[in-house]
Amino acid sequence: MNELVHGALYGTLIATAILSTIAMGIWFERKFAGRMQQRLGPTIVGPAGLLQPFADIIKLLQKEDIVPRDADRGLFDLAPILAVVCSLGVAAVIPFSPSIIASDLDVGVLWVLGIGGLMVIPTFAAGWGSNNKFALLGAMRAIAQSVSYGVPLVLAVLVPVVLSGSLSISGIVAWQAQHHWFAVWPIVPGLPAFVIFFLAMLAESNRIPFDIPEAESELVAGITTEYTGAKFTLFYMAEYVHTLVGSALGAALFFGGWDGPFAPGLHWMVLKTLTLFVLIYWVRWSLLRFRADQLMRLCWTWLTPIGVALLLVSAAWVTFGGTN
Amino acid sequence: MTARHLPLVDEGALPYEHPLYETLLSIPGLSVVTAPLDALLTWGTKNALWVFPMATSCCGIELMAAAASRVDLDRMGTIIRATPRQGDVMVVAGTITVKMAPRVKLLWDQMPEPKWCIAMGSCAISGDFYRDLYPVVPGVDTFMPVDVYIPGCPPNPEALMHGLLRLQEKIGLRREGKLTQAEYRPGLLDLTKPRVGRLGDVTRDAGLSDAQLEDVSDMTRRDLAEESSEIVPRAEPVREAIASSSQEIEALLRDDFGVTEFPKDAAPLVSRGDHRRLAHRLRALGYAQLIYVVATHFPAKKTDPERFEVAYALRSIGRKSTVVAWRVALAADETIASIVGVFAGADWQEREQFDLVGVRFEGHPDLRRILLPADWSGHPLRKDYAADTAHPPWR
Repeated sequence: MNELVHGALYGTLIATAILSTIAMGIWFERKFAGRMQQRLGPTIVGPAGLLQPFADIIKLLQKEDIVPRDADRGLFDLAPILAVVCSLGVAAVIPFSPSIIASDLDVGVLWVLGIGGLMVIPTFAAGWGSNNKFALLGAMRAIAQSVSYGVPLVLAVLVPVVLSGSLSISGIVAWQAQHHWFAVWPIVPGLPAFVIFFLAMLAESNRIPFDIPEAESELVAGITTEYTGAKFTLFYMAEYVHTLVGSALGAALFFGGWDGPFAPGLHWMVLKTLTLFVLIYWVRWSLLRFRADQLMRLCWTWLTPIGVALLLVSAAWVTFGGTN
Repeated sequence: MTARHLPLVDEGALPYEHPLYETLLSIPGLSVVTAPLDALLTWGTKNALWVFPMATSCCGIELMAAAASRVDLDRMGTIIRATPRQGDVMVVAGTITVKMAPRVKLLWDQMPEPKWCIAMGSCAISGDFYRDLYPVVPGVDTFMPVDVYIPGCPPNPEALMHGLLRLQEKIGLRREGKLTQAEYRPGLLDLTKPRVGRLGDVTRDAGLSDAQLEDVSDMTRRDLAEESSEIVPRAEPVREAIASSSQEIEALLRDDFGVTEFPKDAAPLVSRGDHRRLAHRLRALGYAQLIYVVATHFPAKKTDPERFEVAYALRSIGRKSTVVAWRVALAADETIASIVGVFAGADWQEREQFDLVGVRFEGHPDLRRILLPADWSGHPLRKDYAADTAHPPWR
């Protein structure tokens, strides 16, 4: 019972924190994109445009809710909710400090991969349920993409698991706090594994250069083509939550999570998460979109073999006594 | 913001309120905070106007420029969404033709309420100097409501920004139930009065809106209705040596096709029966690219009856590229053999000539209109076609 109360309390706390962060994340991204393109970004709504995301959300919630006549009503309504649930669910097992964690699962890594992988289901439900050719094409691309990046993602996540000998994320972080961060040492399985993880995460959260499922110039708006108002807001939020939670996961698995000198653990975790978050925007607004076949080739012929090799190297590292 | 020299008009309250809004107002305690809540909702609506672009012509370039640096629509929270489901403002930027109009109307109807429309540039406002031409819709307000007109040809990005600011002002005034400034002088409207009435015009035919809606629901089926499934087998010619000099071509035409006259200022006339064989032969000689198929209409004169001429030109590919052209003369009721089986590129070109001039190409796999709507009557590039022909319910 005690654990249940703890989970509910901290889960609510973490979810609230994430949702308020993404409101600012939307503002930050538009500002950042503006600066990257020699524009100003939002400046008029509130000081420095800070209230822009709130205006967006107030407007979106007032819009008419349209369901296409031949849409699959159940799937169409369920998809946006499921998208938010799946993307927020991953955050449950991520430790934001030694004590701030919603549920310290022993198999946290499995939970992350499972719930993260479930994101495909709301995506396809939206594509299929919309009864729109662009949405369906987007969903099909999303499936093809998820099959491709799923394997390297698992391989990259297994590297810290093997090195620390723990499947619990807080266990991995604690191990790193005691010894060293995996992105720093052992540098050969650690840093490349982080790069693979980062690329796979870009693909999972549908960010440029891997935003193939929504490719605006080809597919109108991909899976969200038929969504209006509140339901679109949910998809919009899920995308940002996914990015933020992915950044937090990267920080926890490879950069020691809450580990750091001088300041409390939460500060370090937030700092590392936001750094990765900004890195994603930097990549997003600098690069062009990959073609679907280029992504497949990258994932299958480069990332997967490299991931297998890194896994073997980390196994060897542990067997022949790198640390401890 | 603007000089108040135009009359104030009552455009009524917003046509749509979210169903939750009523529910909120019915909660007893909440009626105290109605005014601040209303202000908040208005503020949100005004400051996040996402644009759904309907850019068909040069105004679209200015629309893109307005989203880029220097003007930067994102400053006021305006971003451009490619799907009508997520747009708040449809910016009609460019000339709308009678074939495009039902599509614009369909996309407009797919946008969720509350929505607004900006007519950007003189073509979207009234058709401008194309107004009297057969395919042009004289202003988008003949089939959908327009909230803000931005004059110009094209209006610059600053003018578009000004238009969006005017729209913001208008949204605020309308939500408060106040009068808004009229968008145009009533007197000016009479000057450019289109054949189909504008939506605000009291003399507009009452059945017109329904006719337009019916046209929208029917358009795709109608445009695909004439499709035939006949497939012409493709003839692959055997490659001969390239005949490059004009003397060789002349000799070929004279000896094999019976052409006797070679006028200096025009292509030689080939008989109707030999025409397809000639195309095939020239293809075999290395003239692999079809440059054009152009039909011309000659109306009946005192001495000559009505006739048509179809001109073709081919180009050889390679270092010494040359062009060969020929004409085929047709009487008013004669058809011409299609060369789609020889040159695949002739497909759409022949369809265009059929559409605009009305020459029938025999053996064409899919001879239907390509530029004009399927229910169009007549062929506008014939000399006896009236340029300002009506096409109800759109113009």
